[in-house]
Amino acid sequence: MPGSWTADEFPGLTDSSSQITSPATRRYNCIAWAAKDDRRWWWPDPFEIGYWPIPVNNRSVTLAGFVEAFISLGYKLSTGGELEPNTEKIAIYGIDCPGGQATPTHAARQLPSGDWTSKLGSFEDITHTTPEAVNGPIYGHVMAFMSRPRN
Amino acid sequence: METETQPAPAQTPSTALHPALAGPASPARAASSNRQRFQALVKQWQSEKGASSSITEMSMLPAYQKIIGMGEDAIPLILAQLKSEGDEPEQWFWALRSITDANPVKPEDRGDFQAMARAWLIWGDKEGYAG
Repeated sequence: MPGSWTADEFPGLTDSSSQITSPATRRYNCIAWAAKDDRRWWWPDPFEIGYWPIPVNNRSVTLAGFVEAFISLGYKLSTGGELEPNTEKIAIYGIDCPGGQATPTHAARQLPSGDWTSKLGSFEDITHTTPEAVNGPIYGHVMAFMSRPRN
Repeated sequence: METETQPAPAQTPSTALHPALAGPASPARAASSNRQRFQALVKQWQSEKGASSSITEMSMLPAYQKIIGMGEDAIPLILAQLKSEGDEPEQWFWALRSITDANPVKPEDRGDFQAMARAWLIWGDKEGYAG
């Protein structure tokens, strides 16, 4: 696949499991894309460089912090990534850290077709057939699914 | 038998001194060297950050930290880089904040890299870093 990434970064992305849907851009990232914002880079960094939807004093790069951010957008924790009628789902990815902690790395959004859409950092937007297709050394694996009614 | 000691031939300072003892480089040479080093670090950083979405992670990468370590010398280089990137600015904001302690970005513009780049370029003009 002629994307900006390497096969080592995303071993699960193949021609049959994924498709590029937009050119690379630095304007927004995966978290923004999962939240349907294609104008800003979302991240709860301590320097307040990234946009974050909850108050500044609650910014933390933790799974709980990311779940809280998507709760503020109307999502609730969900048990899995199966396609459900009238339901929009997101997946939050992370890397396991020593001591049982997890560092969030990525988010993907389920499309009405059941496929998933991801923005790969400052690389391209893609669709992928399963949430696991972007697992690997960069994003780790899915840590949580969340859902809300689809508009 | 006595050997006659020959006087050492006169040497010019440029060949007689080890570079470490040769004193500071000229400002123009130092600026050119900084520019070359900065450009090499930019390339290295862009390669290192790959598909990362994390502002924290990409700012902690070795090449980015070395740019921060260049201190005030890096400010005009970062601002020129931001300007050259036009509508697709890279995340140079962590470095600028770290080096300068300034924050010219309005809270409502957080995450909007185009607006943030504009704010920093205006700041650079005001502070005399226009290149």
